[in-house]
Amino acid sequence: MKSYGQNAWFAIVGLVLIAELAFAAPAGTALQSIEPSTIALGGSAQLTITSIGSEMPAITPPMVPGLEFLAVGQSQQVQIINGVTSARTTVTYQVIAQQAGVFSIPSALPGAEPVVLTVTGGAGSAPNAQVPGGFSQGSQAQPSSSLPAGSARQGASGAAFVRLRLSKHELYVGEMVPVDIQVGARDGMVASLNGPPTLNGDAFTLSKLPENPSRTEEIVDGKPFIVFTWHTALVAVKPGTLSLTMDTPLTVRVRAPGRPDGGFFSGSGFEDLFNDPAFQNFFGASTQRDVTVSSNPETFTVLPLPTEGRPADFGGAVGKFAVSSDISQDKAGEGDPITLRMRVSGEGDFQRVSSPMLQDADGWKAYTPTANFKPEDEIGYRGEKVFEQPLVSLQAGTRTVPEVHFSWFDPATRRYEQAHTEPLTVAITPAPGGAGALAGSPPASTGAASTTADSEAPAWRPDRPDDGGGRISTLLPHYFQPAYMAVPPLVLVALSTAWLWMRRAQRPGEVTRLEPFMRPSVDALASEMDEYATAGNVQSFFGVARTALCKVLASKWGVALPAVTTDEVVSKLGSDGEITRVFMLADEAAYSNLKMTPLEFRQWKRIVLRHVGDGTPS
Amino acid sequence: MRVSQLAGMLAAGVLAFSVLAGGLRAQTAVDSPPVSADYSAAQQYNLANAYARSGKPALAVLAYERARLLAPTDPDLRWNLHRVRESAGLPDGTGSWLEQYGRFANPNIMYWIGIVGLALGGCCLLALARRAPFRGALAVGAVVGCAAISASMFNAAATFPVLSEYIALRQASASVSPVAGADTLFTIPAAATVRRLDRHGDFELIRDSRGHEGWVASSDLAAVIPESSRQ
Repeated sequence: MKSYGQNAWFAIVGLVLIAELAFAAPAGTALQSIEPSTIALGGSAQLTITSIGSEMPAITPPMVPGLEFLAVGQSQQVQIINGVTSARTTVTYQVIAQQAGVFSIPSALPGAEPVVLTVTGGAGSAPNAQVPGGFSQGSQAQPSSSLPAGSARQGASGAAFVRLRLSKHELYVGEMVPVDIQVGARDGMVASLNGPPTLNGDAFTLSKLPENPSRTEEIVDGKPFIVFTWHTALVAVKPGTLSLTMDTPLTVRVRAPGRPDGGFFSGSGFEDLFNDPAFQNFFGASTQRDVTVSSNPETFTVLPLPTEGRPADFGGAVGKFAVSSDISQDKAGEGDPITLRMRVSGEGDFQRVSSPMLQDADGWKAYTPTANFKPEDEIGYRGEKVFEQPLVSLQAGTRTVPEVHFSWFDPATRRYEQAHTEPLTVAITPAPGGAGALAGSPPASTGAASTTADSEAPAWRPDRPDDGGGRISTLLPHYFQPAYMAVPPLVLVALSTAWLWMRRAQRPGEVTRLEPFMRPSVDALASEMDEYATAGNVQSFFGVARTALCKVLASKWGVALPAVTTDEVVSKLGSDGEITRVFMLADEAAYSNLKMTPLEFRQWKRIVLRHVGDGTPS
Repeated sequence: MRVSQLAGMLAAGVLAFSVLAGGLRAQTAVDSPPVSADYSAAQQYNLANAYARSGKPALAVLAYERARLLAPTDPDLRWNLHRVRESAGLPDGTGSWLEQYGRFANPNIMYWIGIVGLALGGCCLLALARRAPFRGALAVGAVVGCAAISASMFNAAATFPVLSEYIALRQASASVSPVAGADTLFTIPAAATVRRLDRHGDFELIRDSRGHEGWVASSDLAAVIPESSRQ
């Protein structure tokens, strides 16, 4: 009886609540959309909320941690047709991301679908750009993974779960295993994912997670979940029995304190009603809380790589591989580089795939190889790694490029495998003038595309012998170094000083040495003067005397001979000097019939010879 | 024209060049800790070849340009530099007429040739002014000296732009202003040669071969003449 009464009471209350919900909801439809659905951190998207109905509802901006909503505009259209009012209200918000993550923006109006906004870390993606592969509300479910489903562990009161999907649980150290990490979020109860899943422990390494997980919808335990899936790969780094869990930070909406949690409605059909996100959102009864949801521990048996049968050239590659090789050209000139390529394709951790290629090959100069990995899937589990090694033949003729070996461990067969490439033949033509003597020209391996051009274009010039000599400590030319820049002015100062010194030396009054070629012969002068005195030729006597004194004075004053005139002598030596009187008598004798006695001839001869003889006339 | 006037013009020219070079050097001086290093044309050339071998065209171009500074007429060096630029899809970057023809010898050798020419020409002009004998030989000496000075100054003027020459180490964005997140004007490809016009913080104002100017992060560029060499 009591139970019947209680159930009746619950039925009445439920009908009242449903009726209230029905009347409270405005008649009509509500739409909510966001564009773009994927933005970079710091970017913004536009959230548009549209209500169509007979009433104009009050729209309040959503509240999502990590997102900021700025009202951009609001428009209303009201139509009254035959007395029926139809209103279309559109509110636009600019959504600014303040942190990376996947955010669920709840419906701002009853009847509107929540929308999901993905905020990437920002590196490499342009703001407001639609990221390829991003998901948006309404996207179709992704093809289901081929991996077996792992057990889900729900956290945060059933609002979310994290689970791993793996193909095997026994693996070898270094073996790469594809794994799907799935995070399920109860629609409306998870406000946002605050970061990608992270690995617990140091026994495994995880490949880089894709920025945009795939999104599917799934019913788990009868409740709808949005499941985000990251396709990646796991590598074990140490042996043993190891456990692995994944953590995911997210923000969930929980019921506010004081709300009935079971209690009066416990065990009744209304518990689900109260727990329904739409119900809680409608009444504003939920709060948001940051939580971390962990997956169920997955146990692995990690085996060490066997030491028995390990090849000497084993470099740590674990997986299933195949090897092939080719060469850039089958004809080359002596000294020209050719490129040997080895292709390793298959499945496994290609970071562990390495090869020294050719080393110390007879008749070949081999350079350090480069490697380039081309993945065939998004996680880099399948692909092809191409090793390129430049080779230069040291001899002309038909040469054979030796085979290259590659070893790896195959977990499927549980043994080491070894493969080698086929020997390749190359025709090397002699270089004119032995140009290939200096092996070491750079190859065209700066780009794979340029390899073909090598066979057509002239070869690269080879390296030079560097004996270490002629090195300088700075590349700055001397022109622009302060110490060297001071040298030209110093040279100019020295030249200017010499110039000034020369000018000063030319000033009159300075005692200068009589140059030997200017010195007249005293004996010849005396003989000539005696000859003119005997003949009584006064004009010629003073003529030769004057010429001799002119040479002496010109030499002394550093001037040309014609510059030594009577006026110049008078101005410099005065009018009473003996030399002046000789010049004046010479002028007088030239223009008059001057007569002299033998005594006067002897007296003037002695005076002239005295001034000419020592070279320093007073 | 008197000999003394010729000597005066020569002296004024050399002094003007010294002042010009000093001023320009002060303009391009940058702050960076000194790093000791030894350079030779062969070493830089082989280093560039190694970079080219390992698929690093930007570093290869940088080393080739440094080698070209010391051995500007080396045909092998010019050929390999041409090949690297060609493989990177870049123009040859021959520069102006002055740069193309003025860099005809090692600038350090040309510097000393200029100094010797200055001394020789100056002495010959002084001797001519002093009316010394052998005036014909002195005149020849003066002409040779003046020619050496002219060649040195021509080489210095052609080498000067290298002071502001930078190589893009990777593809870089040139922005409108020297701040992070500024709007991008254009991009410069890796290994491209650009001229630095100014610096602000961690950004350099550059001009590319097309004449476009923009601010690029300093970490994306490397100077042909390392900043440690400018101390």
